[in-house]
Amino acid sequence: MARVVVIGLASDFGCQVQMTNMEDDLLDVLGTIDLSYWQLASSGHMPASYDIAVVEGAVTTVEHVELLKQLRSTAATVLTIGACAVTGGIPGLASAGSLEKRFDRVYGNGGDTVAPGRISPLPVDEVIEVDYHVPGCPIQPHEFVATLQRALMGLSDRPPREPLCASCKMAENVCFYDQGRVCLGLMTRSGCGAKCVSLGRPCTGCRGIADDANLEAAQDLLARRGMRVEDLTDALTLYNSLSEALS
Amino acid sequence: MTTLTVEHVARIEGHGTISVDVEAGVVRDIRMDIVEPARLFESMVVGRRYDEAPIITSRICGICSPNHAVTTVKAVEAALGVVVSERTTLLRQLMVYGSFLQNHATHLYLFAAPDYVGLPSVFPLARTHPDVVARALLIKKLGNELTSMVGGRSVHPVTAVIGGFTAEPPKAELEAFAARLHAAADAAAETVELFAGFGTPEFETSGEMLALTSGDTYAIYDGDVCALDAGWCKPVEQYREFITEQVVGHSNAKHATVDGRTFLVGALARLNLSWDRLLPTARVVASRAGIRPVNRNSFMNNLCQAIELVDAAERCALLCERLVDEGGSSQPVGYELRAGVGTAATEAPRGTLYHTVSLDASGVVTAGNVSTPTAQNLANLEADMRAFAPTVAGLPEAEFVLSIEQLVRAYDPCLSCAVH
Repeated sequence: MARVVVIGLASDFGCQVQMTNMEDDLLDVLGTIDLSYWQLASSGHMPASYDIAVVEGAVTTVEHVELLKQLRSTAATVLTIGACAVTGGIPGLASAGSLEKRFDRVYGNGGDTVAPGRISPLPVDEVIEVDYHVPGCPIQPHEFVATLQRALMGLSDRPPREPLCASCKMAENVCFYDQGRVCLGLMTRSGCGAKCVSLGRPCTGCRGIADDANLEAAQDLLARRGMRVEDLTDALTLYNSLSEALS
Repeated sequence: MTTLTVEHVARIEGHGTISVDVEAGVVRDIRMDIVEPARLFESMVVGRRYDEAPIITSRICGICSPNHAVTTVKAVEAALGVVVSERTTLLRQLMVYGSFLQNHATHLYLFAAPDYVGLPSVFPLARTHPDVVARALLIKKLGNELTSMVGGRSVHPVTAVIGGFTAEPPKAELEAFAARLHAAADAAAETVELFAGFGTPEFETSGEMLALTSGDTYAIYDGDVCALDAGWCKPVEQYREFITEQVVGHSNAKHATVDGRTFLVGALARLNLSWDRLLPTARVVASRAGIRPVNRNSFMNNLCQAIELVDAAERCALLCERLVDEGGSSQPVGYELRAGVGTAATEAPRGTLYHTVSLDASGVVTAGNVSTPTAQNLANLEADMRAFAPTVAGLPEAEFVLSIEQLVRAYDPCLSCAVH
C-alpha cells in the first residue's frame, strides 16, 4: 500500500478541504492508500519515509524550500494540487514590487520583525521537480483522484493541453466576447467543463495558461473587436502573474 | 526551565505551535506561535479591479470562502452605493449558513470529537462509531451542497457578484433542499446531545465577547456589533476604532483588544448575545443540553456550534421555502463606478468578519483591510491558555498537552485566516 503524505505550504487549505469534501468517497478512496500524514485531519508526526508527497500551496519562505527538498529526496513521487502550488496562483500576486513595502502596508512599522525567511512567492515547480499536477482554484476532487490513480499506477502526467473554449462551446454557453466582456477561457487550461462560464461568470484563469494557448491570437481577437488588449493581460495576472507565457 | 512544544498542532486549519515554559513543575508561560507564513492579502487586492477583490479575498480561507466572498461583495457595494434585492439577500444568507453547516460539522466531528473519545483522527472513529461519522458527513455534505446549489461550488463559490447573482438554483431544487434541511435538524440535535455528553473542564474566560446583533433575528448577515459585558452596540463601519490590532513578536497574526481587553468571537459569543433570537427548536435543544446565557466557558464553544447547527438547518429550510414562495429577481442590479470606501461585516462560522475596501473613481482598489475572527480571538485564546494551564499542570504530560489542545481546538482557529 502506497504511503502518502499531504503537506500545505502557503494556501487557504481549500484544496485539502476539497479532499475532505468527497464525503461519499472519502473513506473509500483513502482506504486504498496509507495516509501516513495529513496535518489537517490527524494528529501524529511526519514519518521518515513515504512514497507519494501531495503538496498544496505556494512557496513563500526559505523553510518551504527546505521542506520541498526533503520531500523530493524522500518521496518517489511528488504531486502538486491547486493553483498556488501549480502556477503560484493568488499568492503569486505578492511577487510584484517590493516585499518590504507589502509588509509595511499590512503590519505597519512592525513589518520588518514579522516572518523572517519570507521570500517572493514561487510555484513548487520552480523549487523541485514535480511529477504530477492537479490545477485549479480549488481542485476538483475527481481530477485529484484520477491523478492520484495515475501516480499509483506509474502512468505519465496528462493535464489537458488545450484552452477552455472548445469545452465551453460543448456546454452551449454564449460567448462573453459577443457581449463585449473579457473572458480568459481562450487562454486557460481546460478540464473544468467551463464551470464558471456555465454559471454566468467569465473565466478567471485559475487552471493556468494552456500549453496550446496563443496569447498573440487572443490579443488580436480583442483588438479586432475594439476591446482594450491590456484588459486581457491584466486579467491574466490574477492567477498567472508568475507564468513564463506572460513574461 | 524547560520548554514543552507541540509543533504544527493537528486538526486545526493552518500551522500553529504551542510552547509551554515549565519551571520546577510550574507553568511559567504558554504561547500560541502562529508559524503560518504571513500572506499579505491586504496588499494583494491593491491595484486590482473592484470585481476581482472578492475573488482574491475568498482565497484567504478554503473553509469559510463563502463568508469572505460575501463580505467583500458587501463592502464593495457599500463603496459604490449599490442596493441589492431582497431575493439576493436571502440567497446570500443561505450561502453564509451553508458554510456554518459545513464548518461546524467539520470542526466538531473531524477536528474536535476525536479528542473526547481518545483517538488521533476521525478515521479510526469511523470504524468504532460508524453511525456518528455518518451523521457528521451527512450534515457536512448538506452544507457543502447548499453552498454549491446557491454558489455553484462549496469552496470559492462562483455566482455571488457585485449587485446580485449570475445564476440561481431552480425552485424544484430549493424545495427538495427544504425537506432535507428539516431532516438534518434532527441529526444536528443528536450532535448537541453527543457534545453535551462529553466532559467539559470547568473554566471561565476573562475576556469580553463580541458578535453582530440585529433586531429579532439571530444575526449572521448584517447588524451592529455588540459587546456582552460593556453593553454597547456600534456600527460595523467603526470596527477599526473599537478593535485595536497589534503586531506581536511570536506570531505572524496580529493580536486584538477591545476597550483594552482581549475578547472572544464565535458561536459562544453569538449564543450569549442572541440567545433570545434562536429559533424555538434550537432553544429547546440548548436548554435540554443544560446551557444558559451567560456562559463564559470557552470550551462550550463546541456545544454552541452544535446548537447553531440546529438553528442553521431550520433557518436554511425556511429560507429555501421563502425563495420558492416569493418572487423577485437576484440578477445583478446596475451600478456606476465611483471613488469611495466601503465596510461590511458578517458572522463567519468562527466569528465576526470585517472587510474594508477603498476604490478610486475607475474602480481600482487603493486599500483593503480585513479583520478575521481568528485574529480577533488569538489574544484571548492565549489569555485562556495562561489561566487554564496551571489548573491541569499536575497531569501527566500527554494528558496536559491534550487538555491544552482541546482548548485550542474549541476556538476552532483558522490560522490561514489569522495571517491573511
